[in-house]
Order: sequence, then C-alpha cells, then structure tokens
Amino acid sequence: MPRFHSLRVATLVGLLLMLAAGPVAAGYQDLAGQVREFTLDNGVHFIVLEKHDVPVFTFNTYMNVGSSDEVTGITGIAHILEHMAFKGTDEIGTEDIKKERAAMAAEDAAYIALKAEKAKGAAADPDMLATLEEAFAQARDEARSYVVSNEFGQIVENNGGKGMNAGTWTDNTTYFYSFPSNRLELWAYLEGGRMGSPVFREFYTEKDGPVTEERRMRTDNSPFGMLLEQYQNLAFMAHPYHHSTIGWMSDINTITRPDCERFYNEHYVGKNMTVAVVGDVDFDEVKKLAEKYFAKVSAAEPPVVETREPVQRGERRQVIEHTAQPLYACGFHVGSIHDPDTPVYEAIADILGQGRTSRLYTKLVKETKKASQAFCFSGFPDNKYPAHMTFGIIPAKDVTALEVEELLFAEIDRLVADGVTEEELAGVKRRARANFIRSLDGNQGLAGQMAYFQGKLGDWRLMFTQLDKIDAVTTADVQRVAEEIFTPNNRTVVYIETVSD
Amino acid sequence: MSGYLKRAAGCLLLMLVVAAMAAPADAGRKKPWEKFDYPELGEITLPDYQRVELDNGMTLFLAKDDELPLVELSATIQAGKIYEPAELTGLASVTGEVLRTGGTEKWSGDEIDAMVEAMGAAVETWVGNATGGAYLSALTEDADKALEILAEILMHPRFDQDKIDLAMSQHKAGISRRNDEPMQIAFREFRRMIFGADHPMGTIEEYATLAGITRQHLVDFHERYFHPERVYLVVIGDFEPDAMVAKIEEAFAGWGPATTDLPPDPAMPSFPRTVNVAGKDDLTQSTVVLGHAGIRKDDPNYAAIEVANSILGGGFASRLFVEVRSNRGLAYATGSQSGTGWRFPGVFTAFVGTKLETTEQAIDVILEQIRLMVTEPVTEAELKQAVDGLLNSDVFNYDTKREILDRLVLFDMYGYPADFLDRFRRDVQEMTAARVLEACQAVWRPDDLSILVVGNPEGFDGDLSKYGTVNTIDIAIPQPDIAMDLPPATPESLARGQELLDRAAKAVGGDALAGLKSWRSELGLDLEIQGMALHFGVTQAVAYPDRMRLDQKTPFGEMAQAMDGDAAWAKGPMGVQDITGEDLKKMKEEMAGDMISVLRDHAALHCQALPQSEMGGKLCDPVHVTGAGSDYILFYFDAATGLPVVKQGPGEDPVTKSPVTQKVMYDDFADFGGFKMARSQVILHDDKEFATGVLEDFTPNPDLPASLFAKE
Repeated sequence: MPRFHSLRVATLVGLLLMLAAGPVAAGYQDLAGQVREFTLDNGVHFIVLEKHDVPVFTFNTYMNVGSSDEVTGITGIAHILEHMAFKGTDEIGTEDIKKERAAMAAEDAAYIALKAEKAKGAAADPDMLATLEEAFAQARDEARSYVVSNEFGQIVENNGGKGMNAGTWTDNTTYFYSFPSNRLELWAYLEGGRMGSPVFREFYTEKDGPVTEERRMRTDNSPFGMLLEQYQNLAFMAHPYHHSTIGWMSDINTITRPDCERFYNEHYVGKNMTVAVVGDVDFDEVKKLAEKYFAKVSAAEPPVVETREPVQRGERRQVIEHTAQPLYACGFHVGSIHDPDTPVYEAIADILGQGRTSRLYTKLVKETKKASQAFCFSGFPDNKYPAHMTFGIIPAKDVTALEVEELLFAEIDRLVADGVTEEELAGVKRRARANFIRSLDGNQGLAGQMAYFQGKLGDWRLMFTQLDKIDAVTTADVQRVAEEIFTPNNRTVVYIETVSD
Repeated sequence: MSGYLKRAAGCLLLMLVVAAMAAPADAGRKKPWEKFDYPELGEITLPDYQRVELDNGMTLFLAKDDELPLVELSATIQAGKIYEPAELTGLASVTGEVLRTGGTEKWSGDEIDAMVEAMGAAVETWVGNATGGAYLSALTEDADKALEILAEILMHPRFDQDKIDLAMSQHKAGISRRNDEPMQIAFREFRRMIFGADHPMGTIEEYATLAGITRQHLVDFHERYFHPERVYLVVIGDFEPDAMVAKIEEAFAGWGPATTDLPPDPAMPSFPRTVNVAGKDDLTQSTVVLGHAGIRKDDPNYAAIEVANSILGGGFASRLFVEVRSNRGLAYATGSQSGTGWRFPGVFTAFVGTKLETTEQAIDVILEQIRLMVTEPVTEAELKQAVDGLLNSDVFNYDTKREILDRLVLFDMYGYPADFLDRFRRDVQEMTAARVLEACQAVWRPDDLSILVVGNPEGFDGDLSKYGTVNTIDIAIPQPDIAMDLPPATPESLARGQELLDRAAKAVGGDALAGLKSWRSELGLDLEIQGMALHFGVTQAVAYPDRMRLDQKTPFGEMAQAMDGDAAWAKGPMGVQDITGEDLKKMKEEMAGDMISVLRDHAALHCQALPQSEMGGKLCDPVHVTGAGSDYILFYFDAATGLPVVKQGPGEDPVTKSPVTQKVMYDDFADFGGFKMARSQVILHDDKEFATGVLEDFTPNPDLPASLFAKE
C-alpha cells in the first residue's frame, strides 16, 4: 500500500508556472508523465493522478447523462436515479436480496395498478382507489422490511468518508467524496457496486418524499428557482433543455421504478462513465481494483439526443406575477461547447457581466445604482448542446425589472455598435488563466476538472488548450459574434413583477 | 527584520491511530465490505509553517506551497457586529464592504477594482458577527502588488460617500427582499428568537437603522477596531517565507495600535422557550427550526456532544435522516447541528423542510428523537459507527494547509491548547454510551427547545398549540422612514409641497376649508393594552385660532381637557387641574398639528414634496411638513384623489412612554357636512397596529360657546 511520501508533483508545478507566464501549448505533455489513464473493456474510463503528500484521496465519477436525456413523462428521472445511487446494491442495504427483489416486484405491480386507476381522474372508482392504495401500502411495507436503511452512506461515513455528495444537471450526473488512502479497495467496491449493480430500493418513498420536497424547496417556494425554471421552459421549446432537472411535479408523482431501471440500463453504461482519482493512491492498484469492481457496468452503446432547437422567430417574453421583489433574466441562443466561438462567448460574458469592472456592474450597480447585482454567463443551462448566454439582474429597491432592462439593452447595443477594447480583452485572458489555476487547487478541484473535460469532451487535456483558445480571441471576433447573437429575435426575457398578496 | 521568528516545531509528528475496523469473531457472517484489510495510515506530517509576531503586534502564520503559482492570504480581524450599537445595526457589515470599495488614500475604489481584476486577482474584506476578515488571492508574480493594495485598504481606507451610498442601496435592496426566500426568513427569525431582538447577534438591520449610519460612523468603527495587534494573517502559497514576512512587515509599516480596549463579549442571553409561526400564504412547504443555546468547544461535554450529534442528525446514517427522510419521506433537508462554538456557545439546532400538511408530524418525529437522546443510551452499534466515523475522518483535519493554519489562528485567538484535537480524539476513542447520555442530559434540553415554523398555517396538520402558546411573528418589513432620510429642500420641492397641500385641502373641504372657523368630531377608538380590550369615545372641538376641548369617555370614567389661549385645564376623577408648561405646549402643538389645522394653515408652514412612493397600496405624494407643532409631520396624499392616506409623526407609547413613530392610516372617506373625511382611522405605533378608530361624526363650523373652553 502507498505510504506517505513527500514527493511533489514536480512536473505539474512546472507546467503551471508556464501557464502563469504565458503560452500553454504542449504543457499537457509534461503532465502526461503524471496523469495516467486506462479504459475498461466495458468503456469506463479512469484518470489517475498520484499525489502522496497527505494519506487521502478523492474521486469524481462523471456520468454523461442528465435531464437532457429525459423525455416528457419521465422528467426528473436522472435526478431520482442519483438519489437511488445512495440506496445500496445487491449486497449493501438488504437483509435478503432475493426476498427483497420479489417484494419490490409486487410493490411495482401494486403501484402501477394504483397509477392506472388514478389516471382515470374524476372517473376513478373511490372504493377501488382505496383498495389499491391499501394494497400498495402493504406491498411497500413488505419491501421495506428487507431494507437496511442508509447502509451505503453509513459505510462511507464510518470509514471516514468526507464530502459525500452528488449532483445532477442537464448534461451530467457527478458523484464524489474523499477517503483515507487505506480505503481504496472499499471505495472501488462501493463505487463499482452502485454504478454496476445498484438496487433502487425505497423508490416510491424517496421520489414522493425527499425528491418532491426538494422540488418544493428549490423551485416552488423559491422565487429565484421559479424564475430560472420558467426562463428555461421558455428559452427552449423543442430541445430537452426545455424542462428543469428537478422535473415536472406530475412526472415525479407518477414515475415508476421500471421507468427508472430502463433509464439506468440505457444510460449508465461504460462509455458514459469517467472516473478521476486523485491523491495518495497507486496507479496499478487502482487499475487492478477497477477491473475487479467496475466490471458489471454495462458495455452497451449509449443513446444520443437528436432533437435540435429550431431557429427562434421572435422575442419570447414572460412576466411572473409574484409577491416577491422583482428579478430579471434574459438570454440569447448561442452555440454549444463544441462551437468554435465558445471562447468568444466566454469573453463577451466576462466583459459584460463578470466582476466589479464589468460593463453591467459599472453601469447598473456602481453608476446608476438601479441594481444591486448584475451578471452574465454563457452556457445556460449547460453547454453540451446549443445553449443560452444569460443575463441576471437583481433590481435595487423600488426599481422595476423593465427599468433595468432598458439599461441592460443599452449596454448590449453599445457592445454591438462599438465592440470592446484591447485592454478589456487582455483582462479577460488574464482572469481566465488565474481562475483556471485556482480551479486546480486541491484534490477535489483536480479530480472534478479532469473528469469534466474527459467526460464531456473526451479528453482531459483540453482543459489546457481552452486557455489557448481564449488567448486567440480578437476584438473583431467579439464584435462579429455580438452582432450575430444579440438580436431581438434571438432573445428570451422572463421577470418577476411584484404583486401584493 | 525585527520581531521574532518562531519556527514551529518543524515537523510535528502526529500519530494517527486509525483503528483498523475491528473484526467480529465469526468471519463467516461478515458482510463483503467487512473483509477488506485497512493497513494503518501511518504518520501525518504537519506541514512546515512559521508563526511570526511582527513588532506592530500582527500575528502571521505562513506555509510555503509551490504546487500552484498562487499566493493566498487571509486575515482574521477582531472587529465584529457584536461591537455595533443596536440603533446603527448594519454598520459593521457596511464598514466591511466599503473598506474594500470606498477607496484608500492612494487610490479610488474603482482604480482598485481595475488593478485587481486586470491581474485576475481577488481582494475582499468583510465584517461578520464576531470577527472581520480580508482575503487575497493572486498569481505569484502579482502577489506584491496585491499585498500593497490589501495593506492600503486595511490601513488607509477613505470611505468615499458614493460607495457608502452604493452599499446602502444594496443593503436596502436586501431588506426589501428578505422575505422572498423561506430559508432566509427561518434563519433570521430563529437567530432573533434565540438571542433576542436586543442582543447584537440578534439585531437585524432595518431601513431606519441604515438611515442613521453616516460616513463618520464607518471612519470611527474602522479607527476603533482595525489595528495590527488584532489581526491574524494566514499566508499560503508560492513564496519564500522569510522574504514574505519582510514584505508583509514593510506593507503594514506605520500601522499603529488601538487606543481603546475591545469591549467585553456580550453575554449569551437566556430566554424562555417560545413557539413561533411566521406565516406566508404562498408557501407550500414549512421550514422548521428547533433549538436552544449550546456550548463552547472547551466544555467538558464537547466530544460527547459531537458523537451524540453525529448519531442524532449529523449524517446519512443519523437517526433524523433515517426517521424523517428515508423511512417517512417527510423531507429532503433534515438534520441537526451540535451547537458548539469556538468563542461563543453555539446554538443546538434541528431543522426540517416538509410539506405543510406534515408540519406537526415532522416536528413530533424530531422532538421524539431528541428526547430519546436524553432518556436512553445510544446502542453500542451506533456508538461504534459514530466513533469510527470521527476517528477515520480525522485525517481530513490535516489534508490542506489552509485548514491547519486557520485552526491554529482559532486556538491562538480564543486560548485553546495546541493539542486540542489530540485531546478530542482521545475523548472520542474512550467514549461510552453512558458518557454520551450524561452529556446529552447536561446539554440538550428537549423541553427548552424553541420552535420556529415558516409556512402557510392554513395548510398545517395542526395549530402547533400542543407545543405551547403559539406566537405569530409579524415579518412585515418596517417601511423606510423617508422623514429620517430627507433630501435637501429646493424651491421646486417647496412650491410643489404647497400645491399638494392646497390640493388636499380642496379635496377634503373644498373652498370652505381655508375659511374654516371651528369644527367638532366624534371618534370611537378601540385598542388593546396589556391584554385588555378598551373602548374610548373621543369628542374634539376646535375654535380657531386658539381654543380646543377634548372629552374622552373611557372604561375608567370620563375626562375632559380644554385650552383657551394660554390657559388650559384638565378634569378627571381626581378633580380639576391646570395644564401649564410643557403640557400646555404639547396641547398647542396637538391643535396645530391636527390634519385639519395643517390643511387650513399650510401657507405658513414649511412643506417639502418628496418623490412619489407607494403607501397603503396606493401611489402617493409624500409631503414633509415642519412648523406645525411637533418635529415634523409626513403626509402621504393619494396621487389619484389628493386625499390623505397616511399622516406620520413622532408619538409616544402610552404605557412605556418611550418615543414611537406614529402613523394614522385614513380610509373609507364619507361626506360630513360637505367635508370628505375618513371614517376609518387606524393608528400604528412603529408600524404595529395600536388602535383602530371610527369617525362617527364631523361638523364644520359648529357653534361653540365660550363656556365650553372655560375652566369648570
């Protein structure tokens, strides 16, 4: 087993010093000696960076699946599946897997019968409903009687796991935590188990309880969450970026475990899965354990999303009447991360709406004091597919959304008409470099970045070349792209107008 | 360099005794994951670091880390909200922000923004509850410049008024939005419940407290609290420590010591438990917080309480997580916090977010689980899980230099021993179920838990009264008092003020008002004082220029007061007495400040129009009036009709005699002898309803015999 060493990742330092100083091309070749990779037969890709200064390691599992892989009727399922990944496996979380599986099958049948009766709406037979409710409750309790509650999380915590969590978004689902380095085999067993042979126990309690409450907390009872959901709904009509990751309440309420199993079987396949491991580990050991414990992950081909958002033919605008204070969101269609203009989008977003010297902060916040915050970022809700460049403004007290909109549009028009200065662009490049270096701080930062670039773009080395691309952006590029995207027909606006209750 | 340099025991060896998971005897029944071997982790070497005290008293902790070409510096400063006066709540936080944005002797705030962002660096400052702080992150090559900027900011801020205005505008926006997110309401109101509205940890900034803050207050706050001997600086990154110490010493040269001692820490108040509801109709989920005061981390029960909390509500396998979330599906967010603090006792809290109709059900489960912690020992299995978890994750107390040095700062500031974590670990290793129970019984008191629910009570599965008398918290935001934040008068605003008063006079009394000689009104007033509902009948008679009589029918008998020029008297159960001096002056002011009197005599008064704003659901024209008796009167006239909507001015609480802002809200206008008068007159004291009045009669120009005012 690896023990504590005081070695430094010398070449990584060398590389980053180069980054800080200027050109970054070819830097990854130095890193290649430190970062090592392998791919299992089923397609799961591993990236390993040994760092031995503290006897701990972190991993990041990047699943190339998110809510944009869902269709209407099962929205929210990628997120429910993420919750299910904490429920254990055929070995963890059960008293008797055979009896439990039989009980879960009966539970599914009872739920589906109940769902069918409920779907009749007003025509449903109340007596029948009551009988079916009762039958389902019994089947659920029977299935639950075999469950060892939260055993998976308990094992991680007992063994010193830290920062255990997961996240689902439109493009991906990620899982991560850190362990003391002597728990490497336990980790491989746990992670390979839940990715390759998970059991979706307590499915109905989880989706109708915690998942529903999560939707209430983040979206229905939060004006900001509500604004973002409605904006997303309006900005994308055909593409699955249309629906939010949490999903429609009515879908959450009617999804079944077989739906979830189908979604898992299609998407949780080796080719969609990247695992980055950073810390006090030994590469050969990781490889040996991965081959042993991740073998059950499916080798099937993952499906792809074919739907593309059609060209928008006119401005879309929606007013949300709410008791909350005004909030304003506005966005324009831009290309995906694969679009060569992506670095230009980043530059525009930075100059207009990131930091205290950005144009929007200067005009809306500092000078006119009409807003308390104003920002812009590119890639909403994410960027695997063509997405949005998004502006968000929090108006000052007694200022309406439309007042700040006028100032926002004036700044956008100014950018289209006059472009940006060389000095502004130099600032963008400098900040991109500094922020990138900061993002590598710590095992979690490194693991997250490498898994992200590998999982989304197929090569972790691209995290370095993205800086080259930003360095290549010219003021002419900015003006060309600004003219192209900032048109009224390409615009979606959603804001909260305050009404008294 | 001067000062002395202590090289901390270069390589503090720390034996990490990580218990290999004890193997139960019967290997055949082991679960698969229990069969792995866990070789000892071995030694963790504390990173090389230096603790340096500069001549000016500043304490530095430095550790070199050249893995990335970055320098990161974070300062902890003994300046906090605990030192701000209640009437200036918000001062500490505004000072912390404008320190960074308001410029220095050398540069404007905008120049600093430009320098910092051109470097891709970050420089921030803030003032929190107990301490303030500063943070810097820069690429190695920019570190010197960034350090110079940070030092300038901390030593020589200039607090430009424009940036104070910006911070105020942002804080006001924050106040206006503070009831939008339920979680924010819950944390704020819970803090106020636990500490009390007067404790500096419980005070909440309001428009009125912000309005009292001037630039001089910021200057004074900085001057009083920002001094080097109160600064702890943690510096980590790509540098040579000796050279960095020299640079820091140079950057902060000339920064002098404080001239006043730090005030003593405010004591933790002790409040009886309360049950509270903050209602908001548009919510579909209840956010519930339960809690009471906790302990400091040097309390002998600290380790046992941390173990207890990890069993109760500290993680994925905790009782609350299992019972509330997994088994019953009542919540997404639930858990508990141990309530242990470094400097102040923490606050033991449990929380849950659940749909309205399971509010009581979720509270019951949580209360039951907390009660179990103080009545029954935890099981051996639970104890082992919690202890293993704490011991096995101990290595993460040492996995970044930042957290190691930050912790050393805490030890230093609050007087904790250097081996604090070792002692904690030892205590955890020796923990028993009996010890956990004893600690829970000493520290956690289920019957003392205050409860706060933010939600829509209409949907609850009960009225919460089974937990105790339910207080309804009014979260309505006290509206900004424009009278306190008056812009300078201009000839235009004064002319406009007269126009508006004229318009109001016409709207109320037509042309008759200007020539009004006398009037009489009858008002019925209902109010509640100390739980008693009282009804008053008030008849007021006024004869211009200087005679007035008030007759009050009260539950305690009848009273009369009258004024006739400079003579005045009062008659009550105690007989007749003369009114003179201050009381006579007040009576004159009352007559001059009456709405009808002001409308009649406005031409002689100072009337300043203010920008239109909303009041009582109507767009209004506010006019600030002085010269009519009391300090000021602020009228809000309906922009559509010209009729008065609100009359605001200084008042007095009849019980405590403390000053209040009094507002009269006028509504339900009706015709009385050609005058349009409000039948409904609601009186607010500091925006809380004090009395409701109904105007029963109003007579313009009645015959008022002189005898009415003559002493009886």
